[in-house]
Amino acid sequence: MSRFRTATIGLTAAAAAAVLLTGCVDRAGADTAPDAFPTGDITFYTPTQAGGATDLTARTLATALESELGVSVIVDNRPGGAGSVGMEHVAGQAADGHTIAVLPVEVAMLGHLDYDTDPADYDFLAQVNSQPGTIAVPADSPYETLGDLVAAAEAAPGTITISNAGAGSIWEAGALELGSAAGVEFQGVPFDGGAPAVTAAVGGQVDAVVAGIGETAPAHEDGRLRVLAVFTEEPAPALDGVPTATEQGFDVVIGSWAVVAAPVGLDAAVRSTLEDALQVAAESAAYIEFIESSGNIPLFLGAEETTAFVSAEHERFGTLLAGR
Amino acid sequence: MSDVIAGVGALLDPTVLLCLIIGTLLGTLVGAVPGITATMAVALATGFTLTLEPIQGLAVLLSIYVAAQFGDRVPAILVNTPGTPASIATTFDGFPLAKAGRAGVALTSSALVSAVGSLASILILVFLAQPIARIALSFGPIELFALVVFGMTMMVGVSNGRIAKGLAAGAVGLLLGAVGRDPITGDHRFTFGLPELTSGLPFIAVIIGVFGLAEIFNQIIEARRGGTASPIEQLGRWWPDRAERRTLVKPTAIGTGIGAVVGVVPAAGGDIAGIIAWDQARRASQHPERFGKGSLEGLAAPDSASTATMGGSVTTTLALGVPGDSVMAVMLGSMIVWGLQPGPSLFVENPDLVFSISGIMIVATLAALGLALVRMQGVVKLLKLPLNALAVVIITFCMVGTYAVQNSVFDVIVMLVFGIVGLGMKRWGFPAGPLVLGLILGPLAESNLRRGLLIDGPFAAFQSPIAASLIALSVFALIAPAVLRTLKRRSKPRADAAAPR
Repeated sequence: MSRFRTATIGLTAAAAAAVLLTGCVDRAGADTAPDAFPTGDITFYTPTQAGGATDLTARTLATALESELGVSVIVDNRPGGAGSVGMEHVAGQAADGHTIAVLPVEVAMLGHLDYDTDPADYDFLAQVNSQPGTIAVPADSPYETLGDLVAAAEAAPGTITISNAGAGSIWEAGALELGSAAGVEFQGVPFDGGAPAVTAAVGGQVDAVVAGIGETAPAHEDGRLRVLAVFTEEPAPALDGVPTATEQGFDVVIGSWAVVAAPVGLDAAVRSTLEDALQVAAESAAYIEFIESSGNIPLFLGAEETTAFVSAEHERFGTLLAGR
Repeated sequence: MSDVIAGVGALLDPTVLLCLIIGTLLGTLVGAVPGITATMAVALATGFTLTLEPIQGLAVLLSIYVAAQFGDRVPAILVNTPGTPASIATTFDGFPLAKAGRAGVALTSSALVSAVGSLASILILVFLAQPIARIALSFGPIELFALVVFGMTMMVGVSNGRIAKGLAAGAVGLLLGAVGRDPITGDHRFTFGLPELTSGLPFIAVIIGVFGLAEIFNQIIEARRGGTASPIEQLGRWWPDRAERRTLVKPTAIGTGIGAVVGVVPAAGGDIAGIIAWDQARRASQHPERFGKGSLEGLAAPDSASTATMGGSVTTTLALGVPGDSVMAVMLGSMIVWGLQPGPSLFVENPDLVFSISGIMIVATLAALGLALVRMQGVVKLLKLPLNALAVVIITFCMVGTYAVQNSVFDVIVMLVFGIVGLGMKRWGFPAGPLVLGLILGPLAESNLRRGLLIDGPFAAFQSPIAASLIALSVFALIAPAVLRTLKRRSKPRADAAAPR
């Protein structure tokens, strides 16, 4: 019987340890003087699964933030509901600067898609990258330029299929924006994420795909896809020699991005401490290398500019998504 | 040949071997904890491995991937809870075997056939990567829809004779699968204003609830009524005897073949392969009536199939740059950051890498097999615990594992609710398998069918030869047994009438 007992105690201890481990993300710090920020660990939320682009952005920034602020910065993933679960969770936390989050472009979109997400719930601290949109066709496609593709859609409205990362995703919005700029109707085909949407174009099941540059540039390089246009103002460094849509006569500038935000109501001093630390983190070599390796554009915009940018995007998506 | 030497030679670095061992241990562990899937473990490890050398990082990630497929069989067989979705079909015969006092043979056989499936599929990767990967690209939405429909036909098989109740459970599963956002329009369906439900019911929480928690609840009730105190009183022999080994051969061959093909198909993984293989092995078996009641054949087919998907998934990922399953989708991201762009050019620019990857997977398979065989001594102690202690531990692990999936209390509540639903189903004789199949396969079938309709119009499924033949196979699979039964009944009406159900 004593052996059973040892085993029981051991297993109970293991179970208890497992409970403690999952609970250890709780912040240890205490709120004392407001001028002595930060007073404890910082929880850095991402509204996405571990391992994705947004999560790795948070983790890379967190390392630099730790050395800058001198406290632990713990990344906490709260995925679900296209990001709305995590965003709403962050909006409900105390605005003491110990809760921050990486928020993807969905923060400006979900409110127009029947979710309760609202950019007004956050104080934006910085924009840390942008992920240009691209449109690509299969390697053996007859369409050589964006003009060819638009002409085909003009000839037979609604028959040219364009895959995207999902209903209500930024890349569905990108295809809608192209359609309205060119005055033609495309048939959007939403997939469950960017990778399967690109796969459908590589396999020739759809005529074209709108996706982030990080997903289409590698396939363009080894000849599985042909990127017809980049949706940026300047040609993108990751796709040398590919023209922008604007250069081809279609005024489409759209892309995904990531900002860092806190629950609304942050103290001004706390806000500037975080903003300064984020500038150092976003300009660190490790972060720039990570963003560039996936084909995206590292950048840093301060709190004021980011707030204006997000509200402009929020307004723009309102009109664009109303036309779905 | 020099590529082989260079590729395998890269593994002789002691740090690479250390990475392999760490990955194998981690993979076995996370596989055995219900809720924590291989995808999650690889995703979490990615944060640490990005700073390593590519080969070291790949050694960690690939060995987690391989070893999780061994670890997840243990809770599936012993407590009826799949450690990861890849072992859903393991529970169909694994748990009945354990209840019949043959857990030892079940665990050993499962580990052996899993290793066979894994090794066979890696050989395919080495020799046939490029030609086979071309098949993958011909699987568009409508072909995937047809494959999923084929997978659904096994709802009948898994119902174990209780066909009406099985189909009812399957229909409820399909309805539950409709919860969430519409895959094409994005409209919210049956979400009741809960943001958590917009991405659908968390199916891992549902699986843990209806399989694991319901089983524990049921045992508690049985024990209070003076039934058997412990679920599994003895483990029996460890090694399958000669006759048992012989019965393993055919289902393992079927499983490995099905797994290799399903693995190549993008986005289809071990769970679907295991389910299809179980049903196909049942049809090919001389004792189909034992399936679902503790058949070694019914254990060998899904276990070899789900490990055999690994070689195919890696093949598709490396040769096409298209993720073969959800783990590979995560790994693809890491490879791009390391500057190893998967795709046709990989075989030209880094031919040795293919051999390094196969080498890592072979070593990881053997290490995981060794670990699985050694570890079983500890498992014995676990099962000799009295039920009151064991139930608490298992319920705790179910809750922790469910919470860890997305750090969500909502998921834990869903698991508890489905634990009670599962208990009700068990008491009233509704099989849980079809419910889970409906929940997992329903959304896949719906979204892919609707994409196919958008792309190719209303006759999409009949214009594609692959889709048309898969649908014909599904119809055949449903009709053939009924026709055969009628024929048999005509020839010997008495025997059939006397057969108990």
